[in-house]
Parts: sequence; structure tokens; C-alpha cells
Amino acid sequence: MKKFLGMAAVVSLLLTSVAGCGSSGSQGVATDAPVSSSSESAKTDTTEAESAVEAQPAGDLAFRKFDAPLDVHIGMSVSPTDSTLPSGDTAQDNQYTRYLRDNYNINVIVDWTAADGNDYNQKVSLAIASDSLPDGLVSKNESYMKKAAKSNMLYDITDLFQQYASEQVKGIMDSTDGRAMESVSYNGRMIALPNITVDTDGVHILFARKDWLDKYNLGIPKTLDDVEAAARVFKQEKPAGDATVPLTGPDKNGRLYCTFLESSNNQHGFDPVFGAYDAYPGYWLDNGDGTISYGTLSDNTRSALERLASWYKEGIIDPEMGTRDSSGELVNANQVGLYFGPWWSLGYGNNDSFVNDPTANYQAYPIFDSEGQWNTHMKAVGTESCLISAKASEDTAAALIIMYNALVRDEGIFDTSVAIGWYPLRVVAAPADECEYEAVELTKVLKGEADPEDYSDPMLIYKNLYQDALVVKSVIPGFEEGRDLNIGDFNQEDRGKFNRMYAIFVGDRPFTQTKIDKAVYSVTYSLTDTMEKKWSNLKKMEDETMLKIITGQADVSAFDQFKTDWLAQGGQEILDELAGLQE
Amino acid sequence: MRKNRRLTAEFHYTLMIAPGLIWLILFSLVPMVGIVMAFQDFTPGLGYWKSEWVGLENFKYLFSMGDSRQVMINTLVIAFVKMILHLIFPLIFALLLNEVRLARYKKLIQTIVYLPHFLSWVILASIILNIFGYTGVINNIGGLFGKEPVVFMNDASIFRQLIVGTDVWKEFGYNAVIFLAALTGINPNLYEAAAIDGANRMRSVWHITLPGIMGTVILVGVLGLGNILNAGFDQVFNMYNPMVYSTGDILDTWVYRMGLLDLQFSLATTAGLLKSVVSFVLIVFSYVTAYKVADYRIF
Repeated sequence: MKKFLGMAAVVSLLLTSVAGCGSSGSQGVATDAPVSSSSESAKTDTTEAESAVEAQPAGDLAFRKFDAPLDVHIGMSVSPTDSTLPSGDTAQDNQYTRYLRDNYNINVIVDWTAADGNDYNQKVSLAIASDSLPDGLVSKNESYMKKAAKSNMLYDITDLFQQYASEQVKGIMDSTDGRAMESVSYNGRMIALPNITVDTDGVHILFARKDWLDKYNLGIPKTLDDVEAAARVFKQEKPAGDATVPLTGPDKNGRLYCTFLESSNNQHGFDPVFGAYDAYPGYWLDNGDGTISYGTLSDNTRSALERLASWYKEGIIDPEMGTRDSSGELVNANQVGLYFGPWWSLGYGNNDSFVNDPTANYQAYPIFDSEGQWNTHMKAVGTESCLISAKASEDTAAALIIMYNALVRDEGIFDTSVAIGWYPLRVVAAPADECEYEAVELTKVLKGEADPEDYSDPMLIYKNLYQDALVVKSVIPGFEEGRDLNIGDFNQEDRGKFNRMYAIFVGDRPFTQTKIDKAVYSVTYSLTDTMEKKWSNLKKMEDETMLKIITGQADVSAFDQFKTDWLAQGGQEILDELAGLQE
Repeated sequence: MRKNRRLTAEFHYTLMIAPGLIWLILFSLVPMVGIVMAFQDFTPGLGYWKSEWVGLENFKYLFSMGDSRQVMINTLVIAFVKMILHLIFPLIFALLLNEVRLARYKKLIQTIVYLPHFLSWVILASIILNIFGYTGVINNIGGLFGKEPVVFMNDASIFRQLIVGTDVWKEFGYNAVIFLAALTGINPNLYEAAAIDGANRMRSVWHITLPGIMGTVILVGVLGLGNILNAGFDQVFNMYNPMVYSTGDILDTWVYRMGLLDLQFSLATTAGLLKSVVSFVLIVFSYVTAYKVADYRIF
């Protein structure tokens, strides 16, 4: 053991010097900001070895196998509705943890698990409050990361990351022009592994049962009027029997729309409805004249709410929205005609729909406003991050970076019929345009214009492309040029591959093929100082009012009262603060 | 000398209360240190010593916040009504059950109504959400009479009733036990004497049974006062949603969201402390009253 430690120390000494030279280039963010006080301790002493002559390239370390089994303690969020884990397997012992043990000698120990959502966030919050972070932990939103960083609980991985991160990971980070690095930096030091997700995660579209639309001679829905008309027919005709839900709404843990704090991946929300009204609730909008406004307060939001309320009243939105345990279950049971969500809501998101009915022809469509424009809000780079406890040993911290590298490199070869969420501490790292890029390249393969071997470089930043290219022809035997793919064109034998291909080719089709006319970004995607104090209160008011208006528990005039109260109870203060920060 | 002998002789009793004492120290006394957070702008990494001291600022902010008043009212209303009904329903039930002469039937009923007490709200809440759901039993029955289905769970105007009603249903069997026990303590000679004097059942209930257990009723009621700010976190938490915040959000759920989800540790502690202080005053009041009215003393 001693020998091993000694060796590790020497190796890391040598490597820091190399990394030290490299870091001044592309990853400039870390070097030119002021150095934080306490969190970097003896760990950075190694930079003394600046004079050391030669070392191996950092790439070897990125996938290093530890000589002795190394225990890594983690806290983990699990999906309460997941059914993909084979019986006998657990969060701590499944194909992913075995892969880590066999290939890297990393022995993952799950200290605790909690259900995704509030339960998990509560555990993270408690771990921070009691200063008992496990070695690794995924923070689901930026406030948790910031709170832990402020408390000096996080490992300063600035140098370690340069040594251990694979070229692939660095390439993906670079593809964001430093935004990814910025999102996990605190006082100029890197304190977490970022989650970098595809832009399309923040673009919400309509998913519809094309077979139902055809059955009743309905056209492809383009506008809200079309959506309304289709939903009305589904309500009357009940294609799935009495249990038919024409259009889903958010469930108990869902949200009506994305907000600046959670700006992506909102399944069963109403984002496209607001978009079609040119409304961006939950976003801080730059008015272009130095002032900032809050999207929820706009008249357009009010109009969209009125529309939704009329839908709810008519019964075309799930009457149990907001109180239901899971809206996803309805889709999986094929009781739903229409629902909103990001691209992966199809395929990945409703796997069981196709198990239950292999002919259910779900399709994805963008929703345009009355002038034929497609408006959508855009997301932050990534809000999740993998936190590494300051108490972890250097090896453990390195192991967590290796796990991150491994996920990025090998996600494509994993058998994802076991949900990838079971990968310990999974945070996604993908180039922002991965889905579109893949769709284009894979289409070339389908057409015979490209060969899968063209993508065989294992360090390509589009890490799934090669594996996908190898199987795309067998998963989509029915491909024909010049027409949209339907469910019948797919071979569903390999569930994991089918889900992915269906998500990319059908779920992401709108984003790949249709130009966004108006893309709206929030002025900020994190809490400001004033917000830290006042946001809970304002958010509660907003959640309550919006849901009540839609479900008819309150008249739409409650919106005006909300607007006044919101501004008076701290909203105005925040707007002023933001305007100040803009200058 | 005598005293020492007593200690040794009664040592095993002391041992028996040790688990309770340890529990009390670990989970009630030690955490009291955390109260200091209410007066600080607490940052976990800095700890109690280095976090910034802000005095009463958290309290000021708490009272200036729009919904703290509503949350307080919700808590008080729900807890108070629960307290009263938890007294009345078990009492009526115990009196009725006491009049049942068939012993086996009596036991059976008692066991059945007792059962829900042992189910956690996590489970029970899903069952209730289903029963009152859009396609649930209640709406189905309503449908037979031509009524349009209603979504009960998002209607703020009936949320409190639902909360209180289901809680009373869950607990009345259990709460009746103490009254049933008191009823067995009444001297049967009194009933025989009353029967000889020609009193019917109603009369003997009114003149013998009720006065016989009145002391217990008062005692249970008064001791319940200490719970006036406990509206039942696990129940409300599992049953509420943002649409019923206006009538259903109680202190404990508010503290939970504030402290654990939004990381405002200091503010949540402040609210918790406030609750504890009010509860403490009420407990003292209730013990004094219990002593005066029912001659009941703990210390």
C-alpha cells in the first residue's frame, strides 16, 4: 500500500507539471481569477515539481486502473418508477458498478439513495447542512453547489482535472466556449464536474399519437388551434377507452413551465403553449433598453394562462394535473394522445409505451405561433454537477474524474436497456449539438453515403456516434429518403438502441430540421443575493397562482393581483438588482 | 446509607428509563444548540462560531413575509379542529361501544377501527388520493346520481376538511382506547343501583358513565393543547400540492420547503423556534390547567 501511495505521489508530481503548462491555454478561466483562500491546501504543493522533466501524456491517467480496489462513497438519486434494473441487482451492484470495478478497480459504495426530485434534494441539503457529504454526489441545481462551495466543502479539482480529464472531456468542455467551466467555478477554482447537456434538452415540443390523428383524419398539429382541435376529438372519441387523456399536464412533482433555475427537461409541462404566445414565464428577460422584466408577469403569459384554463375547463387537459403521482405512467399505458416535453420524452421517456403497444406511432412536432414563428426559451449549459467532497482523498477525487471520463467514452457501448441513470454519479457531458450532429451523420450512414468506420476514433467528442452508426441500419430497416420515419420503420428488438434511435430520429426531428425563429435566453440562470432570501416566497406564490388559474380554482383576474403582490414582496427589488448587475 | 441501598435496589428501574433518556438527550437536547442559527446568517461550512450574527433580523423578515400569517392561520385552524374532533369522536365511539353487550362483536369492531392507526401517511395518502381522485370511488358514486366528477384534491376550499376528516377517521379508534379503559374503572354497582331505581340506558350514561370518565376527558383535552401547532406534517406533506397552499400549507411543511429545499437554514430555524416557544407556553398552561381542573400532575 505504501509503495502504491509513493508511486501515485511521484506520478502525480510529474503530471502536475505537464498539466500546469497546458492549463494556461484553452482553459484560461481557472488561471486568471483570484485564488480562493482555504480550500486548496497541501494538495497543490505538488506544483513545486515544475522543473520535472518528462511525464506520460495525461491521457493514460484518464482511464487508469487502480492497483488496489478503491472505495468511493456516494449518495445517489434513483428513479422511483424505473423498472429496468434486473432483479437481484441494486444501486450498488449493477452492470455499471461492475464495469467500474472490473476496469478501474473503483469500488462504488452507495451510502444512501433517495427518490429523484424533492426527496433527493432534501438529502443533499441535509448532507451540506451537517457537513457530511459523501465522496461524490450529484447536485441537481446550482444553489446546492454554491452553498457547498461557500462552505469550503468541495474538493478543489482545478489541477486534478487537468491531469485526469480525458482529451474527450476537455474537448467537450471547450465546445462550450468556457461556459461549462464557468458554471462549476467558484472564486476562480474548479470545484465540481459540470453537466454539459445538448441544447435541445431545453427546447420543448409536442408529441402526438400520429395513428390516432390519422384515424380521425386530423392533420399534423402546427398551432395551438390544431392542438385544441385534435385534443377535442380525442376527448370525444376516446381512442383508449374511458381512461383516455387527450393532453397531459404536470404531475405532483412536475412544473408548468421551465424556469431560469430549471431551464430544461420539463416533461408534461406547457412550455410550447407559452412559446406560441411569445411568453417566457420563469425567465428573466432583457428588454433591450437596460431594463429587465420577469417573463411570468407579461400580458402574453396571461393570455396563455387563459387559453390553458379554457382547455382545462373543457376537459382536454388531464383533470388530475398537479395532483397525479405520475403523468409519465399515463403515456406508458398509451392512454394519452398529446403531451409536451423535450426530445428524449420520446423513446427514452416512454419506453414502456412501445413495450405495451409496438405499433403506437408517436411523432414529434414543433408548435408555431399565429404568425407561423417558432419561439422557444433556451436553457443554461447545465445545472447539475458532480460534487467531490473536500474530505475525499486525492485518489478518490481522481477516481471520480475517471468515472466521468469513462461515462463519456463508453456510454455508447453500454447496454442502456438498464437505464443509464443507474451509472453512479451520472452527469451528462455532451457537446451542445450532439443530437443534431448525430442525426445528420447517421442519416448519411443510412443513405450509404458514409461508413460506420469513419467514426471509429474512440476519442471523438461525439462519443456515441460510432456505436450508433454500427447499429443504425439494423434499428431502422425501413428508412426511405424523403419521408418522415414512422414506428413501423423501426426494429424494436434491442430496446436500448431502439429508444435512442427513436429519440434522435423522431423525438429530435423538430429541432434538427426546423429553424427556431426566436430563441430566448434568461439574463441569469442562478440565484442572486436578493433572490437567495426572497425567492422561496415568490416562487410559492407563483406556483400556486398559476396552477389555480389553469385549474379554474381562481379566476384569471388573480393574475393581476399576483403581479402586484409579486412586485411588492421583493420582485421589484430583484429586478432592480438584476438591472444593476447588467451594467 | 438508606438512600444508597435504595439506589442499588432500584437500579434496574433506572436502567429501564435509560433508553428513553438517551433518546431525549440525543434528539431533543443536543439539537437545541442549533437554535443559535435563528440569530445568525448560518453558513454550514463556517459553523456556529463563525457564521455572521444578525440578531433578530430573521424574525423581522419572517413577520414581514406575505404568507407567514396565512401559514400560521392554517396551522392553528387545522390543529385546533383536529384537537376538538379527536376528543369528541373517540368519546362518542367509546360510549357507544361500551353499550354493546356482545363481547366478541365489541372486540371485532374495536380491532377494525384501530387498524388504520398503524398505517403510515405515506401509504394512506395514496389511498385517499385514489378514493378522492377524478376517477376514484367518490366520483364514481356521484356519477351514478348524475353528478359531474370533481377533482377534490386541488380544491383549496375543502382541503382542510379533507385533512381533518381523514385524520379523525385514521385515529379515532386508537384514541378511544383510553376512554374505554376509563370506562372499565366505573363501579358496576352504580349501574345496578340505577337499574333498580328505574333508570333507562340513556339516563345511566348521562348520570353515571359521563361523570365517571369526565376527569379523563378533560385531562386528554388539556394535554392535547401542547399539540396546537402540530397540524400533522406527514399527512399534509403527502396530500397537499401548490393549489391548496392557501389553506393547507402549515408551519412544518413551510419550514421543510424553506430549510431543506431552498437551503434557508436560518429562516427555517427561526420559524421552528417560534413554533417551539408558542408550544412551550401552551404546554405550561395546559399542565397548570390539568392540575387545577383534573388534579393531574406529572411533576
